[in-house]
Amino acid sequence: MTAIPLTHGLLLAGGLFVLGMVGLVVRRNIFFILLSLEIMFNAAGLAFVIAGQSWNQVDGQIMFLFILTVAASEVSIGLALVLQLYHHYKTVNVDIASDLRDSPKQFASPYED
Amino acid sequence: MSPTDLIPLLPILTLAVFAVIGILIIAFRRDHRAAMLLTAGGFALALGSAFFAHPTQPRQITPLFIADSYASFYSALILITGLIITLLSYNYLRSFSDHQEEYYVLLLLAGLGALILVMSDHFASFFLGLETLSVSLYTLIAYPHFQKHRIEASIKYLILAEATAAFMLFGMALVYSVEGTLSFAKLSVDPRDSTILLAGWGLLTVGIGFKLALVPFHFWTPDVYQGAPAPVTALIATVSKGAVFALMLRYFTRVNFYDNTNLWQMFALIAILSMLFGNLLALFQKNLKRILAYSSISHLGYLMVAFLASGAFAPQAVAFYFVAYFITTLCAFGVITLLSSYEKEMEDLAEYRGLYKRHPRLAIILGIAMLSLAGLPPTAGLVGKIYLAGAGVSDGLWALLIVLVISSIIGVFYYMRVLYVLFRAPAEEKPRLQISQFGRAILLFLLVLLVGLGLYPAPLMKLVTLAVTGLR
Repeated sequence: MTAIPLTHGLLLAGGLFVLGMVGLVVRRNIFFILLSLEIMFNAAGLAFVIAGQSWNQVDGQIMFLFILTVAASEVSIGLALVLQLYHHYKTVNVDIASDLRDSPKQFASPYED
Repeated sequence: MSPTDLIPLLPILTLAVFAVIGILIIAFRRDHRAAMLLTAGGFALALGSAFFAHPTQPRQITPLFIADSYASFYSALILITGLIITLLSYNYLRSFSDHQEEYYVLLLLAGLGALILVMSDHFASFFLGLETLSVSLYTLIAYPHFQKHRIEASIKYLILAEATAAFMLFGMALVYSVEGTLSFAKLSVDPRDSTILLAGWGLLTVGIGFKLALVPFHFWTPDVYQGAPAPVTALIATVSKGAVFALMLRYFTRVNFYDNTNLWQMFALIAILSMLFGNLLALFQKNLKRILAYSSISHLGYLMVAFLASGAFAPQAVAFYFVAYFITTLCAFGVITLLSSYEKEMEDLAEYRGLYKRHPRLAIILGIAMLSLAGLPPTAGLVGKIYLAGAGVSDGLWALLIVLVISSIIGVFYYMRVLYVLFRAPAEEKPRLQISQFGRAILLFLLVLLVGLGLYPAPLMKLVTLAVTGLR
């Protein structure tokens, strides 16, 4: 069995990562944003496994386990926030939540009362 | 790993054990005061064990951690900050209807993540520490979950933090694929111009830049500062940034980053942009928390000047500046916390008009914190800035120093505006404010430290010199 070259594996992981990133930028539904984050995390995990394989070490796979654990805890908080978002705004579109920003009024004249 | 290796890890273990005890106690009985005291006790005990466990020689504990005076110094700084934030939070949360107790457990976990960061010597502990800190922060920001701007701030922070964490992980994987090790000690910036390696470093920078809120990764800062509860904002501004900066300094020193001009120039550009943008954008704010957010961006930019200086003096300057910055930030957010409760935060600058009439002492404390942020006497902020400039001068970074001076001058302008607002006659007569004795005592302590270190910085200078020996 011939081994898969490192660059091929890294290109695959890079492609997955870019897919996740595009999803993150394009999607406005918070579920899809969380999914895209998950894809990015897993792409990084795949890169770790491939790199570990090419060095004949288990470190890459251990890192992947850590990544899985962290991603799970992160997504549980993310889903709790989705519930709260829906509770307050009755939508899962993240663009609706934009109360906090530099408002144009603020820019007008901060120096007068 | 031998049993004696556990001793230098005592601060980390103490916080972890207290977090578990906290959760178990909540399962049986809810008591706000007990939860606060337990957490404060946890921080205090961890601080005590940090002194007790301080190793005389740098000591590698498993490949993951390194215990040395540098780690002990930053651990102590983080634990003291955690203790003060715990005490300040008590009044703030008092009127919270129910479920106040988990807040304190989350504070412990955030401190735990920060301690792991400052001791880590390996990508795995770096990543796990960072995520322990971040995940606690998402929850802390959204803690008063019935207010929608808290949820908004938390969602913004979560999405951006996780996206940049993914970038950072991918960067780590690329570095690993070239170097074949995850341990900082064995890594070095390869003189070979490897594209994969350079891409890896670049992606890592995204993650670190985000946590430190450096331009161009700063977009979350004002929104999260404004949306988070005031004591949590203090935690984000101090502990989260300090721990990541301490780790970054250790890491880039270990890998001889100063030999790589490409990377150095990228960081220099980030430093210049942060110094200028932070202060320029702060000029147009009407909300005190947003002003402090933009000011923190430029302060981290100042710190980058010392980071970029390669001399042995630079880590001392960073350590001193962080102490001054922590005290100042705690003073400023401490005043905001005491004037606010979770229902209504006093954050509009207009509300601070005539604070001197309503509560002279708080107004003076906030005013002196502003002087320190501006780097004016008689405060620790001035000494810290001289230190940073000294680190830059000793390495001849003139371009960065010129930007630092220009940016500081711009900064003075908006800090003075806050002072002017504080001491103005109020628009209408308002009653004097009632502030708890306890909170005032903490702020007075911070004020004494702030002015004391400005007038007599010698003891701290000695301490930071000791702390960073062995780093370079």
